[in-house]
Amino acid sequence: MDVVLDIGISGVLMGLVYALLALGLTVIFGIMDTVNFAHGEFLMLGMYAGYLTYAYLYPEPLAGVPVAGLVGMLLGVLAYTLLVKRLLSGPPIAQIFGTFGLMLFLRYGALAVFGPNLRSATQGLVVAKRLVVGGLTLDAAKVVAAAGSAFLFGLVYLMLRRTKLGLALQATAANREAARYMGIDTDRMNLIGWALGGATAGMAGALLVNFYYVSPTVGMVFSMITFTTVALGGFGSVPGALIAGILVGLIEVFTAQVISPQLKLAVIYTVFFLVVLFRPRGLLGAR
Amino acid sequence: MKIWGIIREAFTFSDLSRGERIGLALLLGAIAVFPWVVKDGFARTVAVQFLYYAMLGLSWNFIGGYGGQIDLGGAKNVGFGAYGVALPMVLWDWPFWLGLPIGVAFAVLESLVLGLGLLRLRGHYFAIGTLAVALVWEELFVYSEWTRGARGLLLPFKRAPDYLYMQLTPVGFHYFIAALFVFSLLWLNWFRRSKLGYQLRAIREDEDAAASLGINVLAAKVKAYCISSVVAALGGAFYAVYYGFIDPDSVMHLDLSIMIAMTALVGGAGVLWGPIVGAAVLIPLDRYLGAWFGGGGILGMDFLIYAVIIMLLAAYQPKGVAGLIEALVLWRLKATGRSTAGLRAVGGR
Repeated sequence: MDVVLDIGISGVLMGLVYALLALGLTVIFGIMDTVNFAHGEFLMLGMYAGYLTYAYLYPEPLAGVPVAGLVGMLLGVLAYTLLVKRLLSGPPIAQIFGTFGLMLFLRYGALAVFGPNLRSATQGLVVAKRLVVGGLTLDAAKVVAAAGSAFLFGLVYLMLRRTKLGLALQATAANREAARYMGIDTDRMNLIGWALGGATAGMAGALLVNFYYVSPTVGMVFSMITFTTVALGGFGSVPGALIAGILVGLIEVFTAQVISPQLKLAVIYTVFFLVVLFRPRGLLGAR
Repeated sequence: MKIWGIIREAFTFSDLSRGERIGLALLLGAIAVFPWVVKDGFARTVAVQFLYYAMLGLSWNFIGGYGGQIDLGGAKNVGFGAYGVALPMVLWDWPFWLGLPIGVAFAVLESLVLGLGLLRLRGHYFAIGTLAVALVWEELFVYSEWTRGARGLLLPFKRAPDYLYMQLTPVGFHYFIAALFVFSLLWLNWFRRSKLGYQLRAIREDEDAAASLGINVLAAKVKAYCISSVVAALGGAFYAVYYGFIDPDSVMHLDLSIMIAMTALVGGAGVLWGPIVGAAVLIPLDRYLGAWFGGGGILGMDFLIYAVIIMLLAAYQPKGVAGLIEALVLWRLKATGRSTAGLRAVGGR
């Protein structure tokens, strides 16, 4: 029973990070019906931003989180203004290939700049530390990543629900035309959506640096996990992203434990396939 | 008698412009005489690789180009074809011609079964779905002991030329892939003017409208998806005997799926000769760039260049080289004040 509890907790912790990742993607999807293939690459560059801050500026991985947030936001803004904005007027094939090309560009750009070596943080407040809570031994780095992700998720959720900007974003997602008639600058909402997506992915990346290796090709795995999470939660649904994130985290750890660690991604991809096939609107999706 | 009709249709190029027909004839002539004119070993391998990737690009055109369904997992079928030949040859010493139908049949069956699910998805969902399916297959092949995992398969060595095991001389391999290439080209040429081809173009333009006209959208897409898998699997079978060694990295990897879609995108997706032009641009560029950079080059430089090309094409010219030519012709007609009414689309109907 203890093993199940241990695995369950580690699944939930990882799941909260997935939820934060899915949040950015689902907001972008909700606003403009576009999938960002480069989302995992935003996370990967957030990891590098966090790691490089740790390695060259201040030897504490957590200090890299705000830096990674800024880098991610900048990436999102640049990606939207330089590429995505132009794709929106093109045929569907251009929209798919466009962000797919961006994904390749960031992936292989990082490979050219940073080299293929895996890097990881070896010291820091929570690196390789244990946390004992009521008889349970937890990985402190994962707890901090999960708590940070949950906090950021809550912050974005409140922003979406309580602020004028958040309501404008939601209105754009609900009905673009109507939002424009109400005087909302929908073009600007797109930009803000991408900035938000980039910033959250970047910060999620920096939080992972505490316990996850950094490499140029890590983005693909996270992209696929995020797609699965968003599909499971329902494209465009924010609460769905939270629930689905935790579910995907649980599926991942239990597959690794029960079947084989090597097949955990295969199982997650299969989940994606089954969800889009049999319940395309996901758990909480509107459509 | 129906079969003669199909063959006649496959050899009919009359709807192409004169320039396109001359270009095609010149290309086929060049392929035929190439090994007799060029003796340089490196140039010969580049020519074989050009034909190989052009063939894979043609396979992508069935579903991705004419059907508008962005397949990002084309490598899996190449892998099935390659493993279909290599695995029985390594395990039981089966000849090429026994393994070939197994690989192709597996590719078709897999595409049929998964296609019935995948092809219900639209747009991004289909693209992500194909990506996921291909990644699952790659992982399974990497971790399965039966396929020798990541270590790959080394084919038993025979004395060339051996037509049973298809271990040929360099010139023999050139004509082998040339024959497969021409076969794919003829099949695609038949396809684009067949009922199925028109159905797929209708689906690409507007799926709901196509369905409302009585087209069985799913059946049409699955058929094209299966044809595409046959052509890709044939390419994979060739690859296995040509290199004599395969592993999941060389025949099932995401990079290969990207290359397949790239060749079509660069030349012109949904244009008969698009993938050929795409491969003619990309493969020599890649191989000679790689040779110049040598071992000390920047890692992943080729894909970095591809990425820039993909983004530029997506943003400015989604129809690739074919689109550029179309724009150029249009511009010239307008500049000389002639009517553009009779203008034919590039790449035939």
